[in-house]
Amino acid sequence: KDKMSQTLMECSVETIINIFHQYSTRLGHPDRLNQREFSQMVKKELPNFLKKERRNEAAIRDILEDLDTSGDKDLSFEEFITLVGRLTEASHEEMHKNTPKGHGHTHGPGFGGSGPNPCKTQGGNQGGNHGHSHDHGHGHGHSHDGHGHSH
Amino acid sequence: MLTEMENTLNNFIEIYHKYSKLQGSDHALYGNDFKKLLEDECPHFLQNKNAATWFKELDINRDNAINFQEYLTLVIKVGLHAHDEIHKE
Repeated sequence: KDKMSQTLMECSVETIINIFHQYSTRLGHPDRLNQREFSQMVKKELPNFLKKERRNEAAIRDILEDLDTSGDKDLSFEEFITLVGRLTEASHEEMHKNTPKGHGHTHGPGFGGSGPNPCKTQGGNQGGNHGHSHDHGHGHGHSHDGHGHSH
Repeated sequence: MLTEMENTLNNFIEIYHKYSKLQGSDHALYGNDFKKLLEDECPHFLQNKNAATWFKELDINRDNAINFQEYLTLVIKVGLHAHDEIHKE
């Protein structure tokens, strides 16, 4: 299925699966992340979401062990996707830190702004919105106009 | 600057708010909002189960609204389904 006909949800889910496979196929079982593959993924793909943990192999191993409910020392996609939920929740909480109350719904910059977003390239100008965690030049999502959003 | 993966995770937050902002609390999807989200974002999830059935299943605390955490359960289900489909091909 090509990206243009996909919804933002479908494209986002597919992107996560592709990243998982990009690491899971490197060593050993092609559909499981072992310790080394998981560590490589955390360092390369999650530098802002797991800022503290990514410099600490023991902390990365702790995350893996926590997700590894089967106890076989590597992560199936089913085990891995729990992390997707947790990180998304953490990012959402971060966006709500230091946002002004009483001005409708606002989000702060969260864990950081801008950067590549493969599901939002069509028609949108990704270059013009520095420092914003999620911009909206393409008809998706909620607007932050008029809420005194600071960058 | 966020990575591709980090921005993609934030897409899930954006999708939730697009529909949660339609009415009432900004952190609640009511029946109609939730139905619209399913129809727009993952129509294939309505092939075997209707929106009301999904709503009941995801509304774990039975407050007649899907909060952000409950929505993440849907995201996980969509992800698992898509992963299964890729390996069927």
